[in-house]
Amino acid sequence: MSAAHENAGAVESQRVAYSSIVWTELSQNRVAMVGLFVLLMFCLLAIYAPLLSLGQPLTWRDAEGLRFPWFGALFNRLLFENAVDVFFNLLMVLSPAYAVLYLVLRRRHGVAFPLVRGRWLRRICAFHLLLFTAVQVEAWGPVDNPLHTTSRIVDWNAQLAQIESGASVDAPLAIFPMRRFHYRETDPARSVLPPSAKHWFGTDKEGRDVFARMLYGTRVSLTIGVVAVSIYVAIGVFLGAIAGYFGGWMDVVISRLIEVMICFPSFFLILTLAAFVEERSIFHVMVIIGITSWTGVARLVRAEFLKHKSLEYAQAALALGVPRRRIIFRHILPNAISPVLVSATFGVAAAILTESSLAFLGLGDLSAPSWGMTLSAGRTENALWLILFPGMAIFALVSVLNLVGEGLRDALDPKLRS
Amino acid sequence: MKVYLVKRLLLMIPTFLGITLIVFAVLNLAPGRPGATQQGTDIEKDVRGEQTEESHRIFREQFHLDKPVMFNTFSGLSVAAVSADIDVLSGRVPADAAGRIAARERLDGYGGYAVPQLVEIVRRADAAGDLARRDLTVFFLRRAARRPLIEPYHPDPSPELRARNRAIEFENVAIRELRYLPETPEAEKRIVLEAWMRWYEEHRERWEYDLGDRLRILLLETRFAAYWHNLIRLDFGVSLVTKQPVLSTLISKLPYSLTLSVGSLLLAYLIAIPIGIFSAVRKDSAADRVATVVLFMLYSLPSFFVATLLLFFFSFGSDYENLRWFPTGGFRDPDFMSRTSAGQIGDIAFHMALPMLCATYGSLASLSRYMRTGLLDVIQSDYVRTARAKGLPEWQVIGRHAVRNGLLPILTLLAGLLPAALGGAVIIEYIFGIPGMGQWVIESIYARDYNAIMVVQLLSTLLVLIGILLTDLSYALVDPRIRFE
Repeated sequence: MSAAHENAGAVESQRVAYSSIVWTELSQNRVAMVGLFVLLMFCLLAIYAPLLSLGQPLTWRDAEGLRFPWFGALFNRLLFENAVDVFFNLLMVLSPAYAVLYLVLRRRHGVAFPLVRGRWLRRICAFHLLLFTAVQVEAWGPVDNPLHTTSRIVDWNAQLAQIESGASVDAPLAIFPMRRFHYRETDPARSVLPPSAKHWFGTDKEGRDVFARMLYGTRVSLTIGVVAVSIYVAIGVFLGAIAGYFGGWMDVVISRLIEVMICFPSFFLILTLAAFVEERSIFHVMVIIGITSWTGVARLVRAEFLKHKSLEYAQAALALGVPRRRIIFRHILPNAISPVLVSATFGVAAAILTESSLAFLGLGDLSAPSWGMTLSAGRTENALWLILFPGMAIFALVSVLNLVGEGLRDALDPKLRS
Repeated sequence: MKVYLVKRLLLMIPTFLGITLIVFAVLNLAPGRPGATQQGTDIEKDVRGEQTEESHRIFREQFHLDKPVMFNTFSGLSVAAVSADIDVLSGRVPADAAGRIAARERLDGYGGYAVPQLVEIVRRADAAGDLARRDLTVFFLRRAARRPLIEPYHPDPSPELRARNRAIEFENVAIRELRYLPETPEAEKRIVLEAWMRWYEEHRERWEYDLGDRLRILLLETRFAAYWHNLIRLDFGVSLVTKQPVLSTLISKLPYSLTLSVGSLLLAYLIAIPIGIFSAVRKDSAADRVATVVLFMLYSLPSFFVATLLLFFFSFGSDYENLRWFPTGGFRDPDFMSRTSAGQIGDIAFHMALPMLCATYGSLASLSRYMRTGLLDVIQSDYVRTARAKGLPEWQVIGRHAVRNGLLPILTLLAGLLPAALGGAVIIEYIFGIPGMGQWVIESIYARDYNAIMVVQLLSTLLVLIGILLTDLSYALVDPRIRFE
């Protein structure tokens, strides 16, 4: 028992050493660090979007007392019907708690704890996903979910304007987020306005604020990238591992399947599948991208497994009677995963590009504020600000991800390590 | 070489089988009845919904989606099985809405195979005096007895086919009249019922299967067999929009798409190879770094963004009058045919300049990078040092000795780039209004023209398959070590 424990500890510390080496390598790569920093900025913008742009005041104080409409609006389905928004809003609300937890854990386990105790990160992620699922449920039996409201939306902007024009009542003390626009708020009076102090990035045909749409579009793009890639990495790792480890007829079947899938022009296949789905949501788009792009990962993993399965440690594990499943997922996979990590980073960039292309063609989720959709509106309206801002945003996010991917590849490549 | 070619061609067969299987799976994933569940309120949506349903019906008939997937066991249908579904629908067996819908779909799925069973149920219900059940069964009998036409969209039907279809149509019309409303007096109902029984006695032999018939139905009257039957005859159906066979439409669109995708690939190689050679020869120089950074930026720049921007600034529709250099789209001018051949080529080049640019720049980065690393590997090898040592000029060392071997890795890339080029052309054709395959597939998707979508899918895959074969063969041209034995 204790020997097994020590063994596990040794494996753990080796893994630490490896990830620390990779991190040190990566942090010496200045370009990749800049990329990582910009990527972090994108994530922060996505998480704190409601603080930056929402038509609901943080506080509102008038004769009736003090109110906090902003907090109620975060989980109001009439305002944020999309699950992606709910997920990020939840993350925003809980982010102080997570930060405190992080600091406490760091104090207890040392600075490098995310690398040492990966299980804590996993636990936090699992907790957040669980909470997110709970928020999505409308009611638990007879009890209504307090975080799943559909109460009426008050137009506080209009109310404020009304009070100010009347000037008879004392003006309420209202603190708004930085911008006062929700991404779906339409207004025919301000259709296709060029950028101004009021609308930083102008407005589109329906009079929606482009800055707000792009801010919330960051959420869509990041989610699409991460979820689609997670789907295809899961499929690819599973099939590749089976094909590489077991070989024989399984390898023949899976290799043939990979060959067949490579022959499909994948964008055609994605278009075809999108055409067959009625009422597409962004989750459909993610699944479609996921099930059509797993071949690259599967080939990588298969090649790694072919190499690793005859190495001594894998043979030793087999001789010890370790179950095959454990050898595949616990022994070989951690050693074979690094090329997958690199290809996944590039994959996130590619998935974001694919999603915006689909949205550009009008085959994405029409209710989500996708960057590609704004760009396509810019094409029909012939308005430069509708083309330039979303285009530059896609370009920035994609190139940043590619930079990080390049850096990661250099950091993981032992041949370059001196 | 010949042996290798034959081997490769034979290996293409299982791959192509796999491809057709996946396309078959996609066909069968198509949702049940688009538009049927949505209740449109505005007229436009209603019309669209009807169109969608009509297109879906044609599509289902074309690919026989009304039949079972792999094995058709309906020839041995028992009266009890059909009767059970009728029980659910008549309310004799309690069932929830989902159960009722499932029962109805099953009955629709049996189609004409269930006619004798339904007739039997009508007889029994009539004898037992269960009139409601009898009337319900007659309703389903009428649906099941209707026979589909044979090849209704044949472009050039033979006289026999025409005669047979006319007979079917005639019978269908007669069957359509064999109905009554629930409130009709019993005497009139009886007349209709007798007409049904007469009709059944007349055509009874249709449902009297011997063993051979049963086997044929089991294996051949299925979606899978019908799909293969269509494939082998190269029958991909007709377009819903134009009512033209989709295959010939596709072939008429191919030249445009191939000009764009193959042309841009060639252009990419022509530009990327010199850049790669230059970067390798001047490794780590300032020029090399600049080239790397610029190409990396281009690689991350979405092509539809660049295309939209280029059209905004440099097309005839531009707001900036002195920048109106290129046409807004299309493949050629209307007066194309009246020009000389040089003028025709010039016109196409004029129209394709912007699309070609957009389709090309993205693949430059990876191509030139691979060229650079490939050449760097070669430059360090012994034979290059030997060539230098024997006093060959540098351009000969690089150009004649190193480049030929350095080309190998980027030739492998061609196989991977071809599918991407075909797919990427979709969005560029759409933006620039080039009447090729990509634009057609998007239009078909908007119109829900399933047959057109499927034929594009199959044929583009076949093109890629051929492209991969050609790539493998071209190794032999570049690398004398590869002899394919």
